[in-house]
Amino acid sequence: MKILVAVKQVAALDEDFEIRADEKDVDEDFLLYDLNEWDDFSLEEAMRIKEESPDTEIEVVVVSVGPDRVDESLRKCLAKGADRAIRVWDDAVEGSDAVAIGKMLAAVVKKEAPDMVFAGVQSSDHSHASTGIAMAAYLGLPHAAVVADLKYSPGSNKATIRRELEGGILQEVEIACPAVLTIQLGINKPRYASLRGIKQAAAKPIEAWGLGDIGMSASEVGEASAMSRVRRMYVPEKGRAQMIEGTIAQQAARIIEIIKEFKGA
Amino acid sequence: MTNPIEITRILFEDFQPQTIHLFYAFGYAAIAAFIYGTYTQIRKYRRGKADGSWGELLCRFWDMVKTMGTHRTLVRRDKKAGRAHALIFFGFVLLFIGTSTITLEYDILAPLFGVKFWYGNFYLWFSLVLDIAGFGLILGLLYMMYRRKWMKLPKLSYARLDRQPGDPDFDRPQYRREDWAFLWSFILIGITGFVLEATRLVWLSGRPSVWDYRMWSPIGAALAHTMQAVGLTPEGAAALRPNLWWFHGLLSLTFIAFIPHTKIKHIFTAAASLMFKDPLAGRRLPRVPDDQKSAGYKTITDLTWKNLLHLDACTKCGRCQEACPANAVGAPLSPRDVILSLREFANNTLNKKELPKEAELDIHGKDVGQVFMETLWSCRTCLACVEICPVAVEHVPIIVQMRRNLVEQGEMEPLLEKTLQTIHKSGNSFGESKRKRAAWAKDLSFEIKDARTDPVDILWFVGDYASFDPRNQKVTRAFAKLMNAAGVDFGLLFEGEMNAGNDVRRVGEEGLYEFLATSNIQSLSDCDFNSIVTTDPHSYNTIRNEYPDFGGSYEIQHYSTVVKKLLEEGKLKLKKKLDYRVTFHDPCHLGRFNKGYDAPRDILKMLGCELVEMGRNRDNSFCCGAGGGRIWIPDPVGTVKPSQNRMKEAGVIEGLQVFVVSCPKDLTMFEDALKTSGYEGQFVVRELIELIDECMDYPEEVVEKEVVAESE
Ligand code: SF4
Ligand code: SF4
Repeated sequence: MKILVAVKQVAALDEDFEIRADEKDVDEDFLLYDLNEWDDFSLEEAMRIKEESPDTEIEVVVVSVGPDRVDESLRKCLAKGADRAIRVWDDAVEGSDAVAIGKMLAAVVKKEAPDMVFAGVQSSDHSHASTGIAMAAYLGLPHAAVVADLKYSPGSNKATIRRELEGGILQEVEIACPAVLTIQLGINKPRYASLRGIKQAAAKPIEAWGLGDIGMSASEVGEASAMSRVRRMYVPEKGRAQMIEGTIAQQAARIIEIIKEFKGA
Repeated sequence: MTNPIEITRILFEDFQPQTIHLFYAFGYAAIAAFIYGTYTQIRKYRRGKADGSWGELLCRFWDMVKTMGTHRTLVRRDKKAGRAHALIFFGFVLLFIGTSTITLEYDILAPLFGVKFWYGNFYLWFSLVLDIAGFGLILGLLYMMYRRKWMKLPKLSYARLDRQPGDPDFDRPQYRREDWAFLWSFILIGITGFVLEATRLVWLSGRPSVWDYRMWSPIGAALAHTMQAVGLTPEGAAALRPNLWWFHGLLSLTFIAFIPHTKIKHIFTAAASLMFKDPLAGRRLPRVPDDQKSAGYKTITDLTWKNLLHLDACTKCGRCQEACPANAVGAPLSPRDVILSLREFANNTLNKKELPKEAELDIHGKDVGQVFMETLWSCRTCLACVEICPVAVEHVPIIVQMRRNLVEQGEMEPLLEKTLQTIHKSGNSFGESKRKRAAWAKDLSFEIKDARTDPVDILWFVGDYASFDPRNQKVTRAFAKLMNAAGVDFGLLFEGEMNAGNDVRRVGEEGLYEFLATSNIQSLSDCDFNSIVTTDPHSYNTIRNEYPDFGGSYEIQHYSTVVKKLLEEGKLKLKKKLDYRVTFHDPCHLGRFNKGYDAPRDILKMLGCELVEMGRNRDNSFCCGAGGGRIWIPDPVGTVKPSQNRMKEAGVIEGLQVFVVSCPKDLTMFEDALKTSGYEGQFVVRELIELIDECMDYPEEVVEKEVVAESE
């Protein structure tokens, strides 16, 4: 029995950050990296399943696509109890879009043949919310997005999930397994990875895979193959908001005043 | 003149040999019970982990003897109880030595070597001393009985804040029974001893070698005269004596047999605890060996033998509980009860022949003898408990070790968890960018050196609160101006500085602490400086006491010491004097932790302030509530905070104008408490630096643009 969890190391912005000279991204100097918040929850969900069935042998494998620095986040996953970690990278991958990453992850899934695949709903930095689903599409596996509750007994060929819909509505779905689920925040309470734990996890190896290991070529990834590209990244000018106080009549008068101002009277 | 050899204690006169044999049988049985009990106790301690406190045994022993001889720790903050205890203690010691010399002569020296010394003058002085000792013992015990019965001291109540009425271990009546059984049996031994002595005198009133020397046992003699006056004849006394003798003898033997099994064992455990006292307990927390699988204490066998010994040393005196700020505001914590819970737990599990299974040794939980996580998280690691414990119990290291386990299990407040992650990510508890660490210095009229590139005399380790908290930044700037004006050659680490880790370590996140400490040590080791100064007592403590364990030994001073010297040397000149009526709050980490009581007070004096002490000052200072990481854990709504409790104490000082602190966290906590406890407008909270700043005579006026953003 194996659960595969796809994770991402996301970037958080330092206050007072600067945009790169080419205006395509934030200057790397101002980025702080950490594990994507959603992935804390999907990993925890895998750990919960593992720990609730102590008699079944369950292997939790975390996979991420990214450069060396991602090892730090993978180590955090190992500290939280994941059994193995795989990091896929090749310099050619730089600039890939979410769909290409999904394709790479799908290739890993094919090789690992897990019984269940989790990903976060989205990443907090780029917010595409499509990597997990793209992976499912490449795999041709049943999938469900924004999962807020999961009932699954290890090895079973189906699971019952609740998906979060608009307006706080929940949709209960039965899904055939193996399946790809993108996990929503709040589904559980992620555990804390103590720093000693992370340090000790340094002893567990992180498998470094290249494109060759997943049977892909450089032409399938990278900026050239991406279906979209960034034209410009910028900070929009701040809008102005103002609280209008006073009696109804005063407020109305003030609004008229503002409208006139804007019309340039 | 009677032959001196005849002036001696009448031991077994008129006793049948069988009776004497029977008595010896009881004696041996008592000794056997004592030895067995001692064996099981030692076996219990040996089930704990190793501890580094061996070594320098002679030195330790001598310190222990001094402490016990002066009763220094017992008379502190409770003179009467301490003196009463001294009477009991010295009475007991003398009586014990006295009785031992009888055995020494009667059972060992005389039969084996024919040596006798226990007669004549020696005997007479011996009688006198023992009579006085016995009298003191009884007086002491009477006071203790009075104290327990009538003084209604909260610290002697066994009701607990962390348990509810109805819980099996809520107020532990068995403790009360044991206390009284102890007092009664002890006092009865003393009283029957005197009655026995008096009876012997009446019985032998016709024998000059006894009766003529009766005044060498004055209490016995007075009692004997009284007995005669009420009509006791020598024959009557002779008949009474054997019964009394047996009663006294058996009671004494039972007492001895019970020593290792009851609270009486504190005679030994307290002495041993004092002997193994760690002067840095709580100031320098123990490291977790790198190869140790999990950090902290999860099971009772994770405790070291020394911890286990401390558990047994506690005499339930309640002084720690009385001093505890968490307890004072009703938090579910009494340091005494943490110790007692664990003691009961240890006795239930480790006294057995076979060690129970691992699962039964877990000290965390909600059962009898287990410690609640709420209890552990209530602690401010202020060391008030460790400071006052008369028998050197070290609560804080145990509490932090237990927290380390909670942290590893993730059993903590979500907010605290967030803060720890923030500190890991950004290196400070404010979640601010590293780059902004020295942002407070931007608008100074002079440039502060970068110690990473320029050699400096004094390296200023600023600390998180002083760097990022807007209110404290004002103080930080003022201190920079002071140093600049005094011509001190100083510099900062700028982005190279991280949270010093003092509180992170006290939370129990040892891995994060190691990360912070080693990073800071790395930064410091790349700089060229002579000593460190800081305005933050928390950073001060960990750099001073804990960094050496990680290879960073530095000379570090709190600013109060540095400024005092600058003032004395005239490098800083005061433009004017202040005539404020002030009180001073000793920060835990400066005062109790590092004994920095005097420098701030001396400065206040130099400034011309009139210092009025609060009731709890110096080593009894009352924690503001922010220690041990509690600054990151909100107090439950509706509860009184320790800082508010402290404000009340200051509030009763007539005409108080300024409540002076010398710690950034104190400034934050007390300014807040000033408002919430309704003293705003009555007096103000100021950092000592601000008062100095008021009196400053800067060579050229340093203009500072007010940069504290009004929006914050
Ligand atoms: S350290 Fe302070 S808060 Fe903690 S138990 Fe001791 S006295 Fe109480
Ligand atoms: S731990 Fe020390 S101060 Fe506290 S009750 Fe026990 S003996 Fe007294």
